[in-house]
Amino acid sequence: MKTSSGLAEVGVLLAAFVLLWFAPSFAGDYGLQIAFRVLIYLTLAESWNLLAGSTGLVSLGTSCFVGLGAYVAFGLMNAFDVPLPLGLACCAVAGGALAALVSPALFRLRGLYFTVGTLALAELLRLIMVNVSAFGGASGIFLQKDPPPLPVLFHYALVVALIASLAITACARSRISVILRAVRDDEDAAAQMGVRPYRTKLGAFILSSALVAIAGGVQATKLGAIEPYGMFGLQWSIDVLSMVIIGGVGLRLGPLVGALFVVALGEALADYPEAHVAIAGVILIVLIRFAPRGVVGFVENLAPFTQKKRVAA
Amino acid sequence: MNASGAPLLEASGLVKRYGGLVAINEVDLELHPGTITGVIGPNGAGKSTLIGLIGGAIPATQGSIRLNGRDISRLAASERARAGIGRTYQIPRPFLDMTVEENLEVAQYSIAPFINATLAREERDALLARTGLSDAARLPARALPLLRRKRLEVARALALKPRIVLLDEVGAGLVDSEITELITLIRSVADPNTAIVIVEHVLRVVRECCSRSIVLNFGTKLIEGPTAEVFANDEVAAVYLGTGGDRELGAASGTSTEAEAEASVHLESPAAERRVMSPLIATRSESSGGAPLLELKGICASYGQARVLKGIDLTIREGEAIAILGANGAGKTTLARTISGAIAPTSGVLRIAGEDVAGQPPHRIAELGIAHCMEGRRIFPTLSVKENLLIAARNASASACQERLDSVYDLFPVLAERKDHSGTSMSGGQQQMLAIGRALMARPRLVIFDEISLGLAPVVMDKLYEALMVLKQAGMTLIVIEQDVDRALALADHAYVLEHGVFGLSGKPREIAADPRLRHIYIGTAD
Repeated sequence: MKTSSGLAEVGVLLAAFVLLWFAPSFAGDYGLQIAFRVLIYLTLAESWNLLAGSTGLVSLGTSCFVGLGAYVAFGLMNAFDVPLPLGLACCAVAGGALAALVSPALFRLRGLYFTVGTLALAELLRLIMVNVSAFGGASGIFLQKDPPPLPVLFHYALVVALIASLAITACARSRISVILRAVRDDEDAAAQMGVRPYRTKLGAFILSSALVAIAGGVQATKLGAIEPYGMFGLQWSIDVLSMVIIGGVGLRLGPLVGALFVVALGEALADYPEAHVAIAGVILIVLIRFAPRGVVGFVENLAPFTQKKRVAA
Repeated sequence: MNASGAPLLEASGLVKRYGGLVAINEVDLELHPGTITGVIGPNGAGKSTLIGLIGGAIPATQGSIRLNGRDISRLAASERARAGIGRTYQIPRPFLDMTVEENLEVAQYSIAPFINATLAREERDALLARTGLSDAARLPARALPLLRRKRLEVARALALKPRIVLLDEVGAGLVDSEITELITLIRSVADPNTAIVIVEHVLRVVRECCSRSIVLNFGTKLIEGPTAEVFANDEVAAVYLGTGGDRELGAASGTSTEAEAEASVHLESPAAERRVMSPLIATRSESSGGAPLLELKGICASYGQARVLKGIDLTIREGEAIAILGANGAGKTTLARTISGAIAPTSGVLRIAGEDVAGQPPHRIAELGIAHCMEGRRIFPTLSVKENLLIAARNASASACQERLDSVYDLFPVLAERKDHSGTSMSGGQQQMLAIGRALMARPRLVIFDEISLGLAPVVMDKLYEALMVLKQAGMTLIVIEQDVDRALALADHAYVLEHGVFGLSGKPREIAADPRLRHIYIGTAD
């Protein structure tokens, strides 16, 4: 039953991918801009949900890997004229490698302390970028060659989002899922069942970080110019966290619903930036109070009989 | 059975120190395949620590452990589990948000990620059937009550297909017929290649399953040998069995129910006792005009669809001590929770000193003088012993608090010694004393004691029941919910037996004890 629902999910993802591939031919420039943003946010939110929702590692270090991806992509393209796909692959490797490098220290911390640790890591990287002139210092760096046009970038973002969604599906619909949740619920009891908590967390952290770094690379390429305050800004971490909380932590559809919601809200209130922040805050408070499992969880509770199907779809 | 040949597991010179405290001191252990070894000893003797040291959850300070000749002393818990050591936790730690079935999958998939799905399901079904959890396979583990969670612990440990099985107090809280099932289960696990270790206070399990037994006391091995010899040892009787040993020996007839509470230091004069305990006991109310302290009429309560209480009538007057007995699942804890307001009754009348309080929140009922010493102790782990006590007396003045503290320390001197330690750092028996003390701190008019002897050494149960007797002598009104029939009946003025949510039997303790229906109810409802 598990495998069949997993296969159905892969089918839905592929169908959505094929449909969206042709979006540039009928969507306008504005539509593509919005869709691009949704796809990047979706990738980040899926990765964050794998860490926080499935494995119990609540990270505030998203910005660290977004920034890393951006700088790796620009560095390789500027210095060695690396083609974009190869550059993005290198982003993934760099993201995974950084995750593996810092995990011996970070995984000594549990719960909230891990969260604080990831926040410190992001700040550390930002300060390094600001102060080391070889990386452009506080003013950042420009992409020397021309970035690809928007429809091409949209396709990149679409492929990255597909890879992220397929990877998360593989984790959520297979035997890995129970192992991840066991580590999330009780690391010690899981170890007593033969689960290796350290390896499990490391695997999830590396996968999630690699995906975030690719998304960072794509986002940077679209901007054409990066600087440490933007790419390593705390805003990335906060946005992703609030998206998943709004959508539903640990739920398969949570990241998608959250990403759509946040982008739509941002557009609706684009002319009132102060109101945007305040309203987003109020929405978070209301959701946490009345629908702690997010929008998706709330809908599931309303329709208990279709619950299984909804999650699978 | 097969005591010759090489041991399957060999631990030598095991030491575990926590700072200055030595939890396990130079313990040697040999487990041979095909044997079942019992580990008994007072609470705090280091039994669970020993399980933790073998299972790998606790790193040893010193000493070595060899499994099949291979040194596993430095291996992490996960690697030891994969090498074939399965353990249960004394306080069950299921993955609460997963179904029972998924809980087993964790063990299955971690040792064999590519196991055939059909085979894995068959193995799971067989395990669930053996542990009596088949009907709960799809339920979230959170929905299971304590005793079924214990079964899930056993099932999870067995899902590892272990060669060493460490069972930490899986028999606590079971009635006779369930113990018989447990013994059958343990025997079915035993095969010529497996070694089992049982840590248990339910002596029947040890007596009937274990060929050899070890007694731990203060972290050292007091005695090791054939179980019958160990049980007959005088020293063991002194440090562990207490009066429980005598009752075990004479239990065959099932009629030894005399109120033989030996005179403790406290009981010299009821008047003196009343004076010392008076800060803890509410003054009798004159205003209620003769209304009973607690009155239940036709109380029904349910969890979702499941109706648990089906019309309970109960009247308690001030100064009475009543015992509520019954098989597991009969509704004893539900009744306690209904009285204290944790569950709102679906129908019926609940009066405290004449005031109808059905449906009132627990804090309101606590204000009216009902204290609930809950099953499972519920000590706040981040608070010290003293803070745990004071939290129940928030509205009292500082001097009243101090008086009550002194009285609780007088009742349980060990709490005074440990007053600045974390509440959960103490042994199980001391934690139970703390839970009792905390219930008393509110200066209640009535205290409900729910399964206070669960998982405690017989000698500690003696102490707790002495304390309850002191309270009763001092005029406290008590409801005692208890699995240990003899102890409860020795204390009570009146006893009720719950059966399928109604009182099947009630009367004077002496009559109840002699009633053949008591035995029938205990054995008849569990299957």
